[in-house]
Amino acid sequence: MSTMKTTRDVRGIGISIPRPDGPEKVTGRVQYVADIKPKGLLHAKLLRSPHAHARIVSIDASKARALPGVRAVLTAADIPELKRKAPTRAHAVLAIDRAVFAGQPVAAVAADEPSIAEEALDLIEVRYEVLKAAVDPLESMKPGAPPVADTGTEADTSEALAHSAVAMAKSDDAPAKAVNVSQTAHVKRGEVAKGFAESDVVIENTYRVPMVHQGYLEPHAVLAEWDSTGQLTLWASTQGSFNTRSEVADVLGIEENRIKVIPVECGGGFGGKIRALCEPITALLARATGRPVRYVMTRREELEAGMPAPQVIIRLKTGVKRDGTLMALEAETVLETGAFSGTVLAVAAVFLGSLYRWPAFDIKGSEVLTHKPSVAAYRAPVAPQTIFAIDSQMEQLARALGVDSAEFRARHLSRPGEPMVNNQPWASMGAPEVLQKAAEHPIWRARAEWKASGGNGHGLRGTGLSLGGWLGGLQPTGATVRLNPDGTLAVLTGQVDIAGTNIALAQIAATAYGVDIDKVKITTGDTDVAPVTGLSAGSKTIYTVGVAVMQAAQDARKQTLEIAAGELEAAVHDLEIVDGRVVVRGMPDRGVTLASIGKKGNLYMSKIPPVLGSAHPAFTQQAPAFAAQIARIEVDPDTGEVKLHDFVTVQDVGKAINPLAVEGQMQGGAVQSLGMAMTEALMYDDSGRLTNPSLLDYRKLTAADLPNLETIIVEVPSPAGPFGARGVGEPPIIPAPAAIANAIHDATGCRLTELPLTPERIALALIAR
Amino acid sequence: MAKQILSFTVNDEPVDVLVQPYVTLLDALREDLGLTGPKEGCGTGDCGACTVHLDGKPVASCLMLAMQARGHAVRTIEGLGAIGALHPLQDAFVRLGVPQCGFCIPGVLMAAAAVLAETKHPTEEDIRYGIAGNLCRCTGYTKMIAAISEAAEVVTQGAAR
Amino acid sequence: MRRFDLATPDNIDDCLKLLAERPAETKLVAGGTDLLPQMKNGLIKPARVIDLSGVPEVHVLAPDDGRGVRVGAAVTARQLERDPRIQSTYRSLAESGALVGSIQVRNLATVGGNICNAAPSADMAPPLVALDAEAVIAGPTGRRRVPMAAFFTGVRRTVLAPDELLLEFSVPAPGPHSGGCYLRHTPRRELDIAVVGVASQVTLADGVCTKARICLAAVATTPVRATAAEQALEGQRLTPQLIEQAATLAIEAAKPISDQRGSVEFRRHLVRVLTRRTLTTALARASA
Repeated sequence: MSTMKTTRDVRGIGISIPRPDGPEKVTGRVQYVADIKPKGLLHAKLLRSPHAHARIVSIDASKARALPGVRAVLTAADIPELKRKAPTRAHAVLAIDRAVFAGQPVAAVAADEPSIAEEALDLIEVRYEVLKAAVDPLESMKPGAPPVADTGTEADTSEALAHSAVAMAKSDDAPAKAVNVSQTAHVKRGEVAKGFAESDVVIENTYRVPMVHQGYLEPHAVLAEWDSTGQLTLWASTQGSFNTRSEVADVLGIEENRIKVIPVECGGGFGGKIRALCEPITALLARATGRPVRYVMTRREELEAGMPAPQVIIRLKTGVKRDGTLMALEAETVLETGAFSGTVLAVAAVFLGSLYRWPAFDIKGSEVLTHKPSVAAYRAPVAPQTIFAIDSQMEQLARALGVDSAEFRARHLSRPGEPMVNNQPWASMGAPEVLQKAAEHPIWRARAEWKASGGNGHGLRGTGLSLGGWLGGLQPTGATVRLNPDGTLAVLTGQVDIAGTNIALAQIAATAYGVDIDKVKITTGDTDVAPVTGLSAGSKTIYTVGVAVMQAAQDARKQTLEIAAGELEAAVHDLEIVDGRVVVRGMPDRGVTLASIGKKGNLYMSKIPPVLGSAHPAFTQQAPAFAAQIARIEVDPDTGEVKLHDFVTVQDVGKAINPLAVEGQMQGGAVQSLGMAMTEALMYDDSGRLTNPSLLDYRKLTAADLPNLETIIVEVPSPAGPFGARGVGEPPIIPAPAAIANAIHDATGCRLTELPLTPERIALALIAR
Repeated sequence: MAKQILSFTVNDEPVDVLVQPYVTLLDALREDLGLTGPKEGCGTGDCGACTVHLDGKPVASCLMLAMQARGHAVRTIEGLGAIGALHPLQDAFVRLGVPQCGFCIPGVLMAAAAVLAETKHPTEEDIRYGIAGNLCRCTGYTKMIAAISEAAEVVTQGAAR
Repeated sequence: MRRFDLATPDNIDDCLKLLAERPAETKLVAGGTDLLPQMKNGLIKPARVIDLSGVPEVHVLAPDDGRGVRVGAAVTARQLERDPRIQSTYRSLAESGALVGSIQVRNLATVGGNICNAAPSADMAPPLVALDAEAVIAGPTGRRRVPMAAFFTGVRRTVLAPDELLLEFSVPAPGPHSGGCYLRHTPRRELDIAVVGVASQVTLADGVCTKARICLAAVATTPVRATAAEQALEGQRLTPQLIEQAATLAIEAAKPISDQRGSVEFRRHLVRVLTRRTLTTALARASA
């Protein structure tokens, strides 16, 4: 595949341009699903199981159906399409005979008003036989634990492949499967026992990160309507309209051509809106009532019954020699996936075993089912948790050896071409450059002085650094570029624009074709009109769709020049596009306007075809992207509160197509990372019920908790990305937990290995010292 | 349960609208008056996406019953400025690349407008506390603070003329 | 929320009449910041709600014949936060108001709602107790006054009968050389709820403490006074060592539970820390 390298005018790339939808967003004009109100709209509510594991003995919905204003009540008995053994969470539209997590939908209501729908839920009588629930993943792994899956349900590895594009080598001696262990993996190299025996320093810790919610401000929302020909239209808040269409088609057992998914402005997804969740049941209610039905999750439902990030438990043992040589690494990783399989085991192994050069490693991973809501991706799935473990460990090893921890990381960092745990080579990546830049930062340089200034009326002061990265997602995609009769360009993709990628795509198209950016319009089409497009996820939008748009623009340019060559009786290679005209190089008077070419392509009886550039590439080459973060903190020794004075993110983006947008991604990812580090956790009681189903107790960071977030862009071009760009979205969520833990260690001497790093944990650790 | 007449002022216009007594001000604005700028992010006053001004003060409209607004003046994001005549805050947000997914933005702008109405030269801390009731998951707040700071200067200079 | 009838009286007597009709199925709403979330969660399902926003009697915020201040039940947290008289003379009450939720919540949340909701973590309760305030209650047979220290009877339980309504608080002026302070510990700086809260109020005469009140939030089923700590201070000069002793004694009054917001151990530790800090600040303010 071709990439833009050097000679083309790169005006338009590397320029900070605000998103064109800014004015609509700041005036409240942008429409989200909950803002769409068609005539005859009905409102949906779902009745959810209060029990984590229960047999459904009976459901009596008669009183609910009789309530005036109620238009439909559905239970599993009303939906013959439902598969008895739901292979994925989306297929478990309504529980059939067993509820497998507290919050699982059991019945659905559509009514004239939301209040009537709520009252109808009260009138549905469900008899449950409460069963023992598997709540703790370590307990759930043991033989004899209450089984979660219906027998015969396969492990679902589709998410792993969508995100990491890392295929794990199958190993014959994977850990023995217990009833709730749905995936296992095992990689090893060398002899770890020998390595540990020869080590001078061995450090072993267990790191624990609870389930967290992606935290998007707009809850899941969907509007469904069938027309008289049996066509279903879904207005969805989704990160991937084609994925939604496929899942809904599969769940309902209808052809994809019968479904149109219109991706409405998405109020945040971060991986939580990739898989179908509310669409099937809403479609079924719309079909049952013959009216448009809208379902918007409440925040409580999102927290109780969304698709969070998995709980991750990593036992990590590392050995080094006194001279700093890495000797051996052993790890057991447990990923709690909830009631349905869907985690990404491979990512943990790659970053544990091959971010740094371990000559010997033995890494086992298990995915464990529990009676909790099943998980989905969350911005760099499993990477923040994994880096929390390996980076905390590297920091402790450096301290034990008495060496500079940034240098220790740099010394052992894998380089491009060296093998990952699956023996594939690391692609070009900028981890060394990022680490170098971070180590040069004045805040890192001044860490000794900062620490020494603690006490004496100030709290305990410390600085922490961490490095992490993401392999970069891949997904085939398509794009078209049309020349309009007035010489402007129309670009069509199916890409949901969450991160401001549309402006970057416009910059790419404009530069690749040869016009000003304001002559380019990017349209995000629905699934009926757009080329098949992948998810807005995996840090791959610019990396893949950007390439498709670039190639389509190049194709359109080629067609344009060929037409012009005929008009001007010149050779294509003598032509260039300048200021809206195709001219012969060196002869500015010999030219034709783009508009004239565009008009001829739409003229009655014209022999000139319309210019339609298209591209539909698939990709094989990943572009790993790394970020380092530095935290300067002050700890109140009495209360354990951490004041974050400064926070820096250094990130390799390959090429910043639009630095303004890139900074926004870095800052947003940083705050999600800090939330995971300091305040966020989904907390469950012993019966598997969520104890903090509100934003009061599920704590996301506010503006008052944070300083200004400094961003430093590093550019190590990727071989295959458009203009060398790499994916930007995921790296910044990765390093903060380790950076904060390292900073707390620096300030207090306490090493904490369980997130979030709350004031209570810090205060009690200080008391225990 | 009969509907009741809610008489109040919305974005400087007097309004009489029939509302159910059990709906919130947020619901009435969105569903009965078509003002979908204020959003529901949580329904419990914990996210700020529903922020509107009640007699000039920022409030969580998801926690008010619609009828409690009777006789009062409400301003939503639609009443802050329009495309082509943006408020300095809106203009600064656009130029500095603040909005990403955009869902929190109407609430943040209303909270920020209240900060500027109160303080001519807000410090970074004033601004951070002024929007601390508005959760944002996309931006990390840094560009918001810069934009609000910039807009404060524009507003002050404009008032000085 | 489920459906309900709404009454919008414009005076206190109509309000009481409406309340008396079906007290068990009726809820009063002022700021709605505790009531509406509970209704949305289905914890409370009243058939009727009475809106207090149009009842002038509960909005009073005025001096009480020079002996103190009258704070209407529907006075908002934001009003308490910003009122100059409350800030200067009843500082701990202003501080507690300033901590509730966020600005958007404080512009709605009322002191009466905070008190009648009677969560153990209610921020405005400890200052009212520490200031020896009284609750003025209106009912079908007239008015009565209850000292704040006796107002709470359990988690979300007060002395109010179903047909009674909290009218206002009567807060006596603390007297010269008095100082108060309210602090709480929360994981975030806004939008949060107290893990532990402490209000301290002291009055000095010639440098000797003549009156000390310490009230703790979120460490028992109700706000609770640390009487042993108070007694250790009264009649003494408040040295840092004595303050530290009082802070340790305050722990005895606390009977915290471990829940998702904090463990017993951490809460007991915070009682000492916050008592020390609030006493130190109250002393400085009393001495100024």
